[in-house]
Amino acid sequence: MKKTLALVLALVMVFALVACTGTKTETPVADEPKADAPVADAPVADEPVADEPVADEPVAAGDQTIKIWVADAIVDFTKEQAAAWQAANPEFASFTIQVEAVGEGDAAGNVTTDVEGAADIFGFAQDQLSRIVSAGALVELSEENAAIVKAENDAGSVAAATMGDTVYAYPLTSDNGYFLYYDKSVVTDPSTLEGIIEACKAAGKNFYMEINSGWYQPAFFFGNGCTLTYETNDAGKYTACNVDYASEKGVAALKTMIDLANSGAFVNGSSVGNATNAAAIVDGTWDASAAKELFGENYACAKLPTFNVNGTPVQMSGFGGFKLLGVKPQTDEAKLAACDSLALFLSSGDVQLARFKAVGWGPSNIAAKADEAVQADEALTALGQQLAFTVPQGQYPGDYWTKATALGDSVIAGEYNNADDAALLAALQQFQDDCISYAK
Amino acid sequence: MKRKMIRGNILAYAVLVIISIIWLFPFVGLVLQSFRGEYGGMVNYLIPKQFSLDNYKFLFGPDCKFVRWYLNTLVIAVFVAIITTVVVICVSYALSRMRFKGRKLLMNSWLVLGMFPGFLTMICLYFLLKLLGLTQEGAVPGLILISVASSGMGYYVCKGYFDTIPKSLDEAAIIDGASRAQILWKMTIPLSKPIIIYTALVAFMAPWCDYIFASYVAFGFSDSYNVAVAMTRWVWTNDYQGYFTRFCAGGILVAIPVTALFMALQKYYVEGVTGGAVKG
Amino acid sequence: MGKKKGRGIGAAFVTLWEDIKDIFTTFKEGDWKTRLSFLIMGFGELMRGQFARGLALLGIQTAANLFIVKFGWQYLKDFTTLGTVETHKVNRVTQYGDNSFFILLYSLLTIVVIALLILAWRINVRDNRNCQRKLSAGEKLPTNRRDLHSLLDEHFDKTLLALPMLGIFVFTVLPIIFMVCIAFTNYDVDHQPPAKLFTWVGLQNFKELFGIGTGGNFGSTFFSVLGWTLIWAFFATFLTYFLGMAVAILINKKGLKLKKLWRTILVMTIAVPQFVSLLYVGKMFAVDGIVNAYLMQWGWISAPIPFWTNATLARIMIIVINLWIGIPYTMLIVTGLLMNIPSELYESARIDGANAFQMFRKITLPYMLFVTGPFLLTQFIGNLNNFNVIFLLNQGNPKSMGLSNGAGATDLLITWLYKMTINDSNYKIAAVIGIMVFLVTAIISLVVYNAMPSIKDEEGFQ
Repeated sequence: MKKTLALVLALVMVFALVACTGTKTETPVADEPKADAPVADAPVADEPVADEPVADEPVAAGDQTIKIWVADAIVDFTKEQAAAWQAANPEFASFTIQVEAVGEGDAAGNVTTDVEGAADIFGFAQDQLSRIVSAGALVELSEENAAIVKAENDAGSVAAATMGDTVYAYPLTSDNGYFLYYDKSVVTDPSTLEGIIEACKAAGKNFYMEINSGWYQPAFFFGNGCTLTYETNDAGKYTACNVDYASEKGVAALKTMIDLANSGAFVNGSSVGNATNAAAIVDGTWDASAAKELFGENYACAKLPTFNVNGTPVQMSGFGGFKLLGVKPQTDEAKLAACDSLALFLSSGDVQLARFKAVGWGPSNIAAKADEAVQADEALTALGQQLAFTVPQGQYPGDYWTKATALGDSVIAGEYNNADDAALLAALQQFQDDCISYAK
Repeated sequence: MKRKMIRGNILAYAVLVIISIIWLFPFVGLVLQSFRGEYGGMVNYLIPKQFSLDNYKFLFGPDCKFVRWYLNTLVIAVFVAIITTVVVICVSYALSRMRFKGRKLLMNSWLVLGMFPGFLTMICLYFLLKLLGLTQEGAVPGLILISVASSGMGYYVCKGYFDTIPKSLDEAAIIDGASRAQILWKMTIPLSKPIIIYTALVAFMAPWCDYIFASYVAFGFSDSYNVAVAMTRWVWTNDYQGYFTRFCAGGILVAIPVTALFMALQKYYVEGVTGGAVKG
Repeated sequence: MGKKKGRGIGAAFVTLWEDIKDIFTTFKEGDWKTRLSFLIMGFGELMRGQFARGLALLGIQTAANLFIVKFGWQYLKDFTTLGTVETHKVNRVTQYGDNSFFILLYSLLTIVVIALLILAWRINVRDNRNCQRKLSAGEKLPTNRRDLHSLLDEHFDKTLLALPMLGIFVFTVLPIIFMVCIAFTNYDVDHQPPAKLFTWVGLQNFKELFGIGTGGNFGSTFFSVLGWTLIWAFFATFLTYFLGMAVAILINKKGLKLKKLWRTILVMTIAVPQFVSLLYVGKMFAVDGIVNAYLMQWGWISAPIPFWTNATLARIMIIVINLWIGIPYTMLIVTGLLMNIPSELYESARIDGANAFQMFRKITLPYMLFVTGPFLLTQFIGNLNNFNVIFLLNQGNPKSMGLSNGAGATDLLITWLYKMTINDSNYKIAAVIGIMVFLVTAIISLVVYNAMPSIKDEEGFQ
């Protein structure tokens, strides 16, 4: 019965805690300098004294940092280029630039979790665009910048950065396509799928292709003449789906996948790093150096092979994809201008070319693409040959990728091994219906 | 009779040797991979074609913040171990030794709360931490706070252990004029060495595996990563080709101290877990 | 006090009514100090010289009011709508409007604070009444020293539990309440703060989940995943348990040497962080992994075994690999317990002519089951929610055309939920499923837990 004083004390602590946090949010700007290192902090925070009188210049003075997220491989490169940008644009000299390694896949997830905590400029693969746009984590390009981007980059990359009629991002590369790496000593003729499989089998090695991915599957379906595209509006929503997988052509493509999966020399996968016994692998330019290591002097690349449909060879198609750079919505005009300028700079032709020379990323900029060095690259040449048969990757909803993985997994697991054409058609019909249902 | 016994023992040894091989195989594989000189990811053979220390050199080289991540994890683990132990002892003592209104209710509700799928609340916790400034740059203290904040719900094993200490000891001490605080400090704690070490050990080990929430809190700020967050990127994303052997090397470096500590304190671990876990 | 536990809603109302009556009586019979305490908490205590209590109560009131006025109110006032001001752009510069997420979260925080304030106020009122009664009965009030000392003695439980309870409340209970609220909103990929608002939609999500709204084969997928979750939890718990016990008994066998070595080898799996060991083990069993490679090299198999791509095999693999993790743990526990079984039991059984198996069945097993009941239950629940093993080994794959919403054959409910929230930002549906899963597990385990013999006679052990 005697007083519950301890409980009372506990409550005091609740309120103390809560009250502290309360006052903290009241003054977000004042909080910025860390208590730990007041001396070191002072010179960095440019004008600590002038803070009060300049009341009509809003939050601008508080946020002078531009955070950039890019893939690990180009962190150092991006730092150098950002410094070059600052040197060339003295009006932005007051900004501090931080570059962090955040993978292109992670960036989209992190940005949608907390827009405020995300980087101001971030790189991502185009398949994430609609997700990021619908989370409101990208600001559309200014008219001038959009005009520049449209004029200087190839049409596919511009389409990849566009939702509806709005350009939301700056193209960085147009090398996100795939082709064939192979071991010359094993595969002598990389022109047909059947031939490659035979050669692999004979050598006890494997052919790698990630057929449970919505990105690699179109090699078969598009190759045999099917289509699957989505239409989008400016807000990042999917409005319509054009698909004809549930057809004779689709069934033939699916059969090829099933045969491939059962060929005995097939492994599902598209990463040289995870391939333990490869003689041929369908992969992209980012794995070029790893593939060179793997195959050594027998390293070779080629466009994708043909596959056999009722006796006629059909060229594999596929997606040509793009990497993009986006700017997140800004609340401050000066910083927005700086971000716009920096993103445009980092995606410009010269920087794209420099990036190619530094890390081998294939440019999307038309002028940079024409450069001799780019033309001479073996992997990019193979990609270029393949490009004639590929479809620029437009916008696809996240559910499509998931569904495609389900289709691929079902093929690999042998669920369709004994299925007749009607059953396959039914499966594709279900796939097609699901794809259509994602655009509502 | 004797022969039967010997035959039985031979069989037992055989089984144990097989079990040991199965259990050790992955670790042997990890160690061998970490010394592999050839470039690349996973391979389909066990013994490397050439041995080298390159993977370890890389971890401690200028291109890698491994030491930083390691220290982050160590700091988190140490603090979590200390604070969790204190919290768990407090809660367990109160629940085991004191009788107060709502005690049963409290125990039941904590039991139930533990069943809520934790990551559903991750986004909420993230923003609570952010309110306190404990994300990204502050992720290390943030992770400590989250780990210890709910550690009281893990009173289970420790309370079970306290329950086995005879209550008559307490009663005798009360007659001698000792306060409850004195009983806890001077009597219960000295009697509970195994469970204290057990609690601290379990708490110490958990942060080394914390991947999901840690990556959620520290995102976009590599100085705050712990080893799990930093290193799983190497095997899960396409950005890091050829990092697999480095991952193995890092994994070994993480495993060694934790394993050594565990081995050294194994005796207490067994005493703690058998004394407490089974009694709820 | 020997008060009977009020069970049921009726009893709760009775208690509440009596409480309210008591508050009125206190006010009616109270002196001016008590009456003023209704407004200024701790006033009566301060006037009567109980500074410790008085200051604590006054402190609470000040802090809580400050919090509500300066922080809480601005969110709480929008609680019913979750915000109305949309984010918009002026010349491409973004002007953020209301953030529904913060409004909901901080409103809940504020409501909690208000509830605690009311609780503290009630304590304050009761304390005043008690003091007054004591004084009028001629008793002495406890001194400040006595008050503070009681916190280390008869009220030591409150001191001990204060901070842990605070932590659990803010970082466990509050987030759970928040997620439960999310189930009644339209927080999904199209309504993500700060760019968009979300708002209350009532039971819409529940209807959508059960009704025709979702389309596809959501229902069958849900039950398929649920079924596998239960199968998994059952095997993961009991296989591990019995095999672990077998290994422990084996190592414990009389005359066997190197007991410590065997145990140490097994125990390494507990010590090595799972993100290292499981990732490696997962890769070992890939189609082109080391296990298949050696099996083929030795000529045991001609084609690689699809450990991870075949749904059934993948499920078996996960259970088997979980044995690899779980057996050492069970072994440790059982080893300790085996020593606790009185050896006379075995002696007399042997005299009666029982063989080893009979002794195990009649003596060891019943004892183990009795003592390890709670442990088994926690293991079972832990396995229902065993995120790490599934996620690190194969992320719930393989997927299949037969399953909708991105579920894979080895997905547990929890990993499936994770995919929904992280990949699809579908928080509302994840919250709904989360609540249902939570209810089922919570009810089952509460019933089982409280029915267990070793819990029922808790006091018996002391």
